[in-house]
Amino acid sequence: MSTIAPKFRFSYFLKSLTDNAFWAVILLTLTGIPFVMTLLFYLELPVIDDKLMTPYLALTTIADPARQIPLIKSLLHTDFFRIAAFPGFGFAALLAAGTIFVERKMLAKLQLRVGPFYCGKIEGLLQLMSDGIKLLSKEIIIPAKADKPIFWAAPVLFVATAAAFVSLIPAARGGWVVADADVGLLAVFAIIGFFPVITVLSAWSANSKFPFIGGIRALHQMVSFEIPLILSVLGVVILTGTLNLTQIVESQYHYWWILFMPIGAIVFFIAMLAELERIPFDLPEAESEIVAGWLTEFSGMMYGLVQLGSYLKLYAFAALFTILFLGGWSGPNVWPPFPEEIIQKGIVMGPITAHFPGLPLLDQQMLNDVLWFTLKVAGVIFFILLPRGVFPRIRIDLLLHIGWYKLIGMAFVNIFIALALVYAGVLGPGGIL
Amino acid sequence: MADAVFLGLAIITIGSAIAALEVRSLIYGSIALMGTLGGIAGFFLLLDSPFVAMFQIAVYIGSIAVLILFTVMLVRRELIFIKIEDKRRRYAGIGLMLALMLGLGAIILSSGIKTITTDEPPVDFRKIGEDFLTYYWPALVLMGFILASSVIGALTLARREDLTNDQHNA
Repeated sequence: MSTIAPKFRFSYFLKSLTDNAFWAVILLTLTGIPFVMTLLFYLELPVIDDKLMTPYLALTTIADPARQIPLIKSLLHTDFFRIAAFPGFGFAALLAAGTIFVERKMLAKLQLRVGPFYCGKIEGLLQLMSDGIKLLSKEIIIPAKADKPIFWAAPVLFVATAAAFVSLIPAARGGWVVADADVGLLAVFAIIGFFPVITVLSAWSANSKFPFIGGIRALHQMVSFEIPLILSVLGVVILTGTLNLTQIVESQYHYWWILFMPIGAIVFFIAMLAELERIPFDLPEAESEIVAGWLTEFSGMMYGLVQLGSYLKLYAFAALFTILFLGGWSGPNVWPPFPEEIIQKGIVMGPITAHFPGLPLLDQQMLNDVLWFTLKVAGVIFFILLPRGVFPRIRIDLLLHIGWYKLIGMAFVNIFIALALVYAGVLGPGGIL
Repeated sequence: MADAVFLGLAIITIGSAIAALEVRSLIYGSIALMGTLGGIAGFFLLLDSPFVAMFQIAVYIGSIAVLILFTVMLVRRELIFIKIEDKRRRYAGIGLMLALMLGLGAIILSSGIKTITTDEPPVDFRKIGEDFLTYYWPALVLMGFILASSVIGALTLARREDLTNDQHNA
């Protein structure tokens, strides 16, 4: 019989526990408390309910959940929360993770396979987590003759650029956006311009044939599809007269722009597929021709970072499509109001009544906006994933032909439609609608 | 705060400009060139004109620097990199540059730029558009014609007559 700890004695176990506690207390008093006290001189403590939130006060709130609500409320309105959690990185990464799982499962169903099945017992729900752990624990192999600084920097830069793209996306009215730039749409295009640079640099730095071919293909594809991408959006800018993404959404509370500019929306969607290297435009990663394209030499977490970046980019593009053509977060009010009796009476649990003053943490409008925004983005992501089960990969000369001739021409047609709508007095400033 | 940012941007811009000229590897040289162009975009941001800054990034880093990078990658190094190590030429170049910079600086400083008050609000890009449509309309029309003709010219040049492919005509 095998035992986990053959020489186990309960007294030794107790001794080790008390020893650890002793050293923890000693170290905390000698270094931890002086460190915190020094830090407090430089920290700017928040003022909540006209009281300075000192660490002592913050600790006392642990005893009373009702007093934590103002604390959480003030946290919800900090820049840190915006960048790390809600409209920023956390929200986008969550949607990206969901996208990866749905893509694998849905693709499998389309091709009459099972897909992820065993991990997590129920339909392979935890497959993504196990993939993440696998990627984290794998060795990072760098080719011997690679250009090491660029090769290391490329995945990090890719994720950083995708996160910068995400930070420009507004998710609800009332300033739920990381960077509310006045020239938001231009900033988006400035950031998109970095992707080909990073791709081609990482492809070159691997010093290998397949990545280089993939990188050159990616460069051709991204540079040539950026032009129809920008031109197809000009119609929206002409009709709204602003480059701010929040204002573009606010201009669609009555009519979505896809109703007036379906051609622009189609051009934007196709150019978006090409920018995202999705099937049928996945030539840079064509696995049956050039192994994995520009990702061939990446291994371990470097590959994981590139994947994370590309799915963040997918979310950001889908959200941009929603904002520009599908009315962003506008939609009917379906979110139920917060129950009145909890605000007035508190939660009654048998003999105890718990009062939570200031309870609705987020107002109904914001939650409703987020619901519609998430639903629309999920719909657009679904339509981005769908071609993968249907279409074959197209040839590079046909791809460039589509980009340079057909899409640019259609984008100009869209601009003329927008101009006609403005000059006929239908839409725009002083229009009928 | 703004002074520190200005100093940092100036160091990045000038340092990467020097690196772009001096670095042996052409790829690193073009990356340094991107640093220079990005630093200039930062100056535009400091000057309260994000519109110009975003165009600087989108056009100069997103297109022109990519074009240079692409060209450099496809060219064999020995063909264009003939080593001319001439100390006197280099010092003469540095001296010429310093003289030019000092002269330009003297002219700019004596032109009364110090007396300009900068309390004005930043120029809105909508105002630029308005001016283009009202007072400067001939320039706008001229630019439109030049751009349209260059786009048509580029498409005509890129058209390959020798390629006979049924799928193109279909």
